[in-house]
This record gives sequence, structure tokens and C-alpha cells, in this order.
Amino acid sequence: MPLQLRTTDTLSEAAALLASERAARFLGGGTLLMRAVNEGDVSFSVIVRTRDPAFARMRTAGTRIELGAGVRMAQILASRDLAFLHPAARAIGGPAVRSMATIGGNLFAEHPYGDFTVALLALDARVQLASSLGVRELALEEFLRARGRSERVLVSGVSFERPADPSAFRFHKMTRTHPKGAAVLTIAALVPLIGGRIVGARVAYGAMAPTPMRARAVERALEGRPLTAEGIAAAVAVAAEGTDPPTDALASSWYRRRVIGVMLRRLLLGET
Amino acid sequence: MRIRKEMFADERRDDLVLIGKPIRRQDIEGHVTGRTQFFDDHLVPGLLHIRCVRSSEHHARIRAVDTREAERVAGVRRILRYADLPKKAHNILTIFNFGIDDEPALADGKVRYRGEPIVAIVAESLRAADEAVAKVRVDYEPLPAVFDVEEALKPDAPLVNEYIGRNWFRYWGDYDCQQIRFGDVEAGFRQADLVIEGRYQMSPIEHAPLETNGCIVVPGEDGRFTVYTCTQGLHFSLDNVAAQLKLDTNRLHFIGGTVGGGFGGKVDTVVEPLAVLAAMLTGRPVRYVFSRAEEMQVSSPRGAERVYITDGVTRDGRILARKIVHYHDAGAYSRLSTYGTIKSAAHHPGPYYIPNVWVDSFCVFTNRTPSSAMRGFGVTGGDFALESHMDVVARAIGMDPLEFRIKNAYRDGDMKAHRKLTEGAALIECIQVAAELAHWPLSEEARRASSRIGGGGERAQIPPTPKARTRLAEPRARSAALEARRTAAAGPSRAITPPPAWTGGGEPTAGRERVEAERLRTAEPSAPPEQRPPEPPRPTHSHGALRFSSVFGSRRR
Repeated sequence: MPLQLRTTDTLSEAAALLASERAARFLGGGTLLMRAVNEGDVSFSVIVRTRDPAFARMRTAGTRIELGAGVRMAQILASRDLAFLHPAARAIGGPAVRSMATIGGNLFAEHPYGDFTVALLALDARVQLASSLGVRELALEEFLRARGRSERVLVSGVSFERPADPSAFRFHKMTRTHPKGAAVLTIAALVPLIGGRIVGARVAYGAMAPTPMRARAVERALEGRPLTAEGIAAAVAVAAEGTDPPTDALASSWYRRRVIGVMLRRLLLGET
Repeated sequence: MRIRKEMFADERRDDLVLIGKPIRRQDIEGHVTGRTQFFDDHLVPGLLHIRCVRSSEHHARIRAVDTREAERVAGVRRILRYADLPKKAHNILTIFNFGIDDEPALADGKVRYRGEPIVAIVAESLRAADEAVAKVRVDYEPLPAVFDVEEALKPDAPLVNEYIGRNWFRYWGDYDCQQIRFGDVEAGFRQADLVIEGRYQMSPIEHAPLETNGCIVVPGEDGRFTVYTCTQGLHFSLDNVAAQLKLDTNRLHFIGGTVGGGFGGKVDTVVEPLAVLAAMLTGRPVRYVFSRAEEMQVSSPRGAERVYITDGVTRDGRILARKIVHYHDAGAYSRLSTYGTIKSAAHHPGPYYIPNVWVDSFCVFTNRTPSSAMRGFGVTGGDFALESHMDVVARAIGMDPLEFRIKNAYRDGDMKAHRKLTEGAALIECIQVAAELAHWPLSEEARRASSRIGGGGERAQIPPTPKARTRLAEPRARSAALEARRTAAAGPSRAITPPPAWTGGGEPTAGRERVEAERLRTAEPSAPPEQRPPEPPRPTHSHGALRFSSVFGSRRR
């Protein structure tokens, strides 16, 4: 069957099409989907896209940042309000990919891709899912847990609190080739300081499990500690806890477990 | 670039017009302005597209191929099979009377590596071809596979390629490897203060060009086929397609020479034969381009090479003997690995004067992706091993690695292990200049050394060389039961035709072409191998050596 392209005016129409057609996939920026087309993936035969302006809308002025799922990496990089997210957006592909790749698509990117999602996870983002019945919302972590089983849902946007202190947000992607390599591992961390002590730490990993994950043991070990070599030592010691890293062409599972603590220490101490 | 006249006062005249002067590449303007036309920029109406069904197994007998469902996919125009091939097996060097036709363009009843093409779908769109590929059912009978060169050389290893008949290529009719014998390495080891061994292993490397291998074939009114292609050797590929399809060369018009990244990965001529055949059988223009995944998995990489080096050295840093055993992993088919192996032997023992040298270079077949040309294949792998080993030896005798190299470097007038006198060596001077630029301290003696002094004399002599030929144990005879099973593998009517039966000694009677190649090969009027070491073919009776360099030397991209 030839490939069909269906363009809708609204997100809810697109969501309805996706829900009714088993062989449908949604086109965000196409950096993953069109690669599958080019490589002869015949598991889908309908491509759905939308012209809905809400899909690429950005609200970045307030304390709660709302981004449409169709917002592209290049738009993030062009936004001064989102400067703290620039390292994460710059970690995605090269300029050509960044001009097309969307943050919504990144939520579906399989290992070793999906680095922006790691940043969103550390920001405790919430995901909006569109359907013909309206929009429902769930935590990103919950969304990722169900990802393999929910390919035909339509993500319409994400939202998250702006960090009070942008320097509390840290991001590092470790790659073998520069500047465009895929991740050996990715770490995003939010380490707000109150009176010199970490309060409400959130740490997320990419390439350390089948999907991006929160490093709960590290977060617990950071709580109430100063951001010094001694203060974070306990967190570094448990860096690999709860991880299930894959072995692939970039690195072995063993290697990822071995270096995650080193990279975490460097990230937290600002040595990357 | 400049010549250090203080070192080489008499080298090169100063009034040359082009040499030594910067010059603009003739095609650079088109490239940087995006106007260059690559093969895929030719818009042809009514194109058909090819996608191959590829083996999911490393080594298997094919019991049957069921294409019934695939034929019913809308847009499928033709399915190419082994039975459609005008010439059943081919190797791109046999047009120079070298090597053995050992590779069918579509599987001959057996697959020998994962990703080997079994049937080719010709369809109105890539999408239709992809859908048809997904609907072809292949019934495999898996066979034991071998992935390691040394495992493959054991007598009981599974036989990879029946056309070759053993898991290694036999050179010059009767040599199990390409070998160099110069002096007596065992005597050299006995005189040495230290004998140091090393094992070096390369991995396959893919060229990863921006433009994947591909071509567009347009049949003309006049019975000719215009082929727009990215091949690196336009006429080499034309000759090979003509040979493989049994066409006169004037039926083919190749247009190309503009390569979107080659590095040796575009001389194998794997896409053109099937695309021309499809155009012949359908009368329609045909496009066959590797997907990125195909380019990475099935286009020939640089082969994995394993090199063992044993050096006998004196405490003061003189290499007395060097023994090298070099294994080239050709993968399942020869492609150009038979030639790469010769190159490695031609490059050993490196740019050093060593009075006793022994080199065995083996071209070994395994169930891995066939390897082939890539940027100095044979040589680069050899250099990695040689120079790594030079550092290891220098450390073992407590000598500076650069001084160690200068002490052993060729000087003009030295006899090489290949029985050729060294001229224009210049390695010593290169090391001196590199050390100076890197602020690497050299001793007074090393600084004063010169490639023009100290060579020749005794070092120009060919030492007495005992005859010693490396012989591998022949594989055990294939069991009668296995043979019977193979013959029975013809399968149901939809099964592809099995290859012609091969008989006796593992040697296939794989068609007239191969027999002819064999006859020409053994008819070479070189001296009996017993009496002197093997030499590369001479231009007088085989222009192979010359043509090698014209294809792979002058058109690097």
C-alpha cells in the first residue's frame, strides 16, 4: 500500500485519526519517522501531521513554562527565556536535525537518542496528551513508563516550572564523537541551594536504562548536603543504583555503570 | 609542501610549473556551490526500484524461497533470482585474469554471510519493493559458521566458500599465503639478546560515505544501457558489468566519475550488475541504491586484520630478525581482499632494514561481511601493527622510540626483503624534522644520522635464504551425508536453482569462466615455485599489477 500523508487543521482531528488507524504514525519534525520510511519500515502506511498553531506555541514568560510538542530544538535555542535549556537542545543532532526535531518527537526517541527528554525529566515536566475528547495530563515519568505501549497517542505539549535559579540546572551528554555523537550517557540535574544546602534535588539519566530514568538514590543522597566534593560523595557512591544500562556499539553496560559516578561528580562540581 | 634543500640539495628542480605548487581542484566550484550532479540527481521518468531480500543467517543452506505473496504486492514488476543471472559467479579481479569467480550476485542455494542478497524485488516504488521484501519467506537450514580467521584455518572448520574450496586463498597456484623469505629469521632470533612478540587486531571499518552505493540504469532505443553510477572506477565497473552479464562492452555507457564519498568503498560493483539486469528484463529504467543500513551492514568494509610480529633485537637497538604472520579476514567472498593481502606482504616488514625477514600473509574466508578496498587496505593495518610493535620493542630495550626507528630505518642502497634496492628513503630526515617540530629531544648521533649515509655495502646483499614454505592442512573431506543433503536442497518448485554440483577436493566446477581463470592462472610462465620465492605478476605476462594501481591508486577520493 502506498504511503498516505494526512494533514489536519486541529490537534484533536489528528488525535482522532491516530486513534482510528492502526497503521498511522504522527509526523513531528520527521527526523525519526522519515528515517524509518527511508530505511523501508513498512509497519505503518499513514502519516498524520497537523497545521494547528497551538502545536508549536511557546509560553516562556511566566514561572510555568508551556511548550507545544511541535516546538523545534532550534526554537529553544533562539529563546532567551530558555537559556538554561540551550545545552540540552544543542546536544540534539547537528544544525539540520535541530531545525526539524521537535521536543514532542524527542519523548518517543529510542535509545541512544532522546537527550532532551532527560532534561525535561529533571525538570519534572508534565505531558499533555490530546484526544478527540480533550486534553489530559500526566507526569513525564509515568508517560515514559508506558511509552512502548502508547505509540499512537498524540503529545500536544509539555509544561514545567522554571528553575528559580537557572544555574541550579545542569546538563551533560557524554559522547565518543564530537560535537554530534550519540550518548554514551546523559545526565540532567536540578540542584537548588537554600542556605548552601541542596533542597529538592532531581537527577535524570539517559542511556542508563531502556528509557530516560530518575536517579532516586542520588536525589536522596544529595538532599540537605552542600554542593562540595565531600557533600556529594554519598550521591556519587550510589550513582549506578537502579540503573539498567544497555550494551551497544557506543559502550558496554559495564562501562556505563563505571563512568556514571565520575560524570555525575564532574557535573555537580561544575567540572564538565 | 616543501623540500628541505638543506637535507636534499639535489632533489627536484625549482622551475617546475605544477609540482609543489598549490592548485585548485577542477571540481571544487561545483561542490561548494551545490551544482555538482551526482548519479542520483538524474531525474528519469518511469523508474523502477530495487530492494533485496537479505539473509538473516550468517551461514545457511536455503531450502526454499517463497515469493508468491510478494509477487501479489501492487507495483511489483519482477523478482530477480539466481536463475536469472547470466554468469553464476563472479569476482571483479578475474577480468584481469587474477583470482577465482567466487560470488553469485544472488544467493546460489546457500548464504555465506548475514545480509547476503537472496532475491531482488523490482517494483514501481521503493515502498512497494519494501512491502514485497517483507512478504518473501525464506526457509533456511542453518549451518555452523566461522567468524575468526585462525579458527577458519583449522582443518575441521566449516567450509565458507565452495568456489574457493578451502577457507584460504591459494596464491600463484601453489602457495597457501603470500610469503616473503629473506635471510634466516631463526638464526637471527638465536643471535638476538631479546625476542619480543606482539599480537595486533584490527576491526572492520565502514567507509560511511554521505552518498550510499547506487546507480540508475536507463535502457536506450539502440539496445544500449546508460548507467549513471557513483563507482570509483568507471571503466573497471563497466568491464565487470559486461563480464558478469555477458554483454559486449559497447552495450554499456557508463556516466560517472563524481563520487559522493568513496574511500575504496565504491569499486566493488555490486549494485550495477543487478540494476542493468533488471533493466534488461523489464525494459524499464531502474534505480538501485543502498539504504543507509545496507551501506553500513553489507557494503564491504575494510577487513579485520590480525597481525603477529616477532622481533629479535640486540640490547643496543638493532633489529636482527622480524617474523610476521598476517591474517586478512576477507569475509565470505574475495572481492579485493586477495589483492589487499598481496599489498600487506609488499609493505612488510615496514621501512626498516632488517637482515632476516619472514612474512606469511593469509587471505582467509569467514562468514562475515565480505571486506574489500579501503584507503591502503593491507598497508594501514600492517602499519598499525608494525609501529605499535616498534614502540613495544623500544620500551622493552629501554630506548627512545624515535631513536630506535632512526637506528633501524632504511638508508639509500639497502636491500629490501623484496629484493629491491632502497632509493629516496628519507625516513630518518622525516623523523628528525617531526622531532624538531614536536620539541622531542634526540641524541647527537640521531640528529646527525642521514638516509644517504650508511646504507648499501653489506646491507645491499641478499643473505643466504633457506627454502621454507608454509603449508596449511587441507580441510577434511566433506562428509557424503552433507553432500547428499545439499543436493536434496533443490526444494519445491519455487526454490531457487541450486548451484552446479562441485566434485572432488572441495573444488567446484562452477562454470566455464572459473575454469578459464584457473587455466590462465596456472599457465603463468614464472619459474617453479620451489626454486625461488613468489613474485607479483609481471607486466609482460599479466597486466594485473599495472591495472591494480590504475584502478585503486590514481582515483582515490
